[in-house]
Amino acid sequence: MFKVSPLRKRQVLGGVIGFVLGVVLFYIFTLEATEKYVSIGPMNTGHQDLSCFTCHADAKGNLLQQVQSNISHAVGARKTAVDFGTKDVTVDNCLECHDRANDRHPTYRFSEPRFKDAIKHIDATTCITCHSEHNSERVSVASINYCMNCHQDLVVENDPLDISHEQLIVAKEWFTCIQCHDFHGNHKYEVPEKLSDTIPMQFIQAYFKGGEDPYGTNKKYTALSQEAWLKTLEK
Amino acid sequence: MKTIIYKISLFFSALVLVACGGVPEEKSETAAEENAFSVEEVLEMVAKENDVTRTLYTKAIVGKGKAQGMKFDEDWRKDDVEAGPLPALFLRGVATSIIKSPVPLGLYLGSDFPVNAANKFEGKQADLFQEIKKTQEPQFFYDEDQKLHTAMFADLASAGACVSCHNKHPQTTKSDWKLGDVMGATTWQYPKDSLTYKETVAVLNAYAKGTVDIYMEYLDEIEAFKESEKPEIGNKWPAEGNYLPTAEVFLDSVKKLSSYETMKHLVAVK
Repeated sequence: MFKVSPLRKRQVLGGVIGFVLGVVLFYIFTLEATEKYVSIGPMNTGHQDLSCFTCHADAKGNLLQQVQSNISHAVGARKTAVDFGTKDVTVDNCLECHDRANDRHPTYRFSEPRFKDAIKHIDATTCITCHSEHNSERVSVASINYCMNCHQDLVVENDPLDISHEQLIVAKEWFTCIQCHDFHGNHKYEVPEKLSDTIPMQFIQAYFKGGEDPYGTNKKYTALSQEAWLKTLEK
Repeated sequence: MKTIIYKISLFFSALVLVACGGVPEEKSETAAEENAFSVEEVLEMVAKENDVTRTLYTKAIVGKGKAQGMKFDEDWRKDDVEAGPLPALFLRGVATSIIKSPVPLGLYLGSDFPVNAANKFEGKQADLFQEIKKTQEPQFFYDEDQKLHTAMFADLASAGACVSCHNKHPQTTKSDWKLGDVMGATTWQYPKDSLTYKETVAVLNAYAKGTVDIYMEYLDEIEAFKESEKPEIGNKWPAEGNYLPTAEVFLDSVKKLSSYETMKHLVAVK
């Protein structure tokens, strides 16, 4: 018989414990009940009730197949790499619940060449530029003066505002736009005619952080719930 | 001994990995289907279909419909507005439907004197539009930044309604448009330089589906009218009275008008 040193025995025992522990952890953390412990951060406002699979669909093939395909791709034996674990989340995933015909600034419009310079400043072709997920908030955009990237030449006929839009633009008051206009135009509300009656900035900031909706609750369109979204997949 | 065990385990690991096979490659990537058309040819085909569709909508629906008392408005989607989409917004609706389809085709409308300032051409598009105004010939370029083949086609004032509405619009930046003027241009984008028959037909179908989608949205809007008189929807057109064709009848007329030109390209001997 082989003579096994006590050191090697410990190594083997450690390996077996590690393997079993790994399998158990893998099993536990892939259960639906433990999803929130796997998540990289708390869901954004309105997304709290969503399951991981709503956005993170399983990638094609099993893990071994995915490993093999990506190794093949790395050594040049395959044209394309494949998603590992789950598919990448894209704008299309967001639009499955949030798409609506009357969006004032739909992402696809910014794919046009004439917005090339604007999207260098703010990439409006993708939702996550302003709505980064897993941050427990609504809007995560760095600065809300983004209107300046496209609306420098704005002319409003019979401007109803006491301080005209033209004056505001000259004074570079780009932070005031959002005090009347929600970016996606999804609220039905009376827009004030005096700048002093507009929504105060701290209310807007609080809304972005996940607080109360200062534009009111009368929305033109409500995003699909997870149940409603699942029903659309059955069709 | 140790090396042998390592070698054996490595061999079996590799065997397991290879034995399970990889993720199957997408069909389109593996299929050795022959490319049949250049991107320019396909975009010319679909732009022609667009010309026919827009002219039909502008003349037979908006023009004749207005004479029957039907309303068309830029705010047609607003809840308190009971109207249909103006031709430019009809095209926007088609573009929206295309972008949602699996076909990677982009469609946009712009001008140097747009009603909506956001639709003003800039950069390369503005330069090529000046050329289009002179020659009315399509312009093609490859957008390096977006990695997209891009084509621009003249958008002409083909009906009286185009001229009168744009000249009278409160936000117009030009009020002396005449029939036949190049009022703007459509911009089309596609990622590949050549397309198979299947991809070409997919592009044409995506456009046709876009037409049906926006037209259906218009018919749904009419269904929700509370105060305005609803036109009868069936086989008849506004030229005959307070009627509107169904989406099928509308698309059928587009096909009748455009099929010769499209088929001529699709079946051309090369």
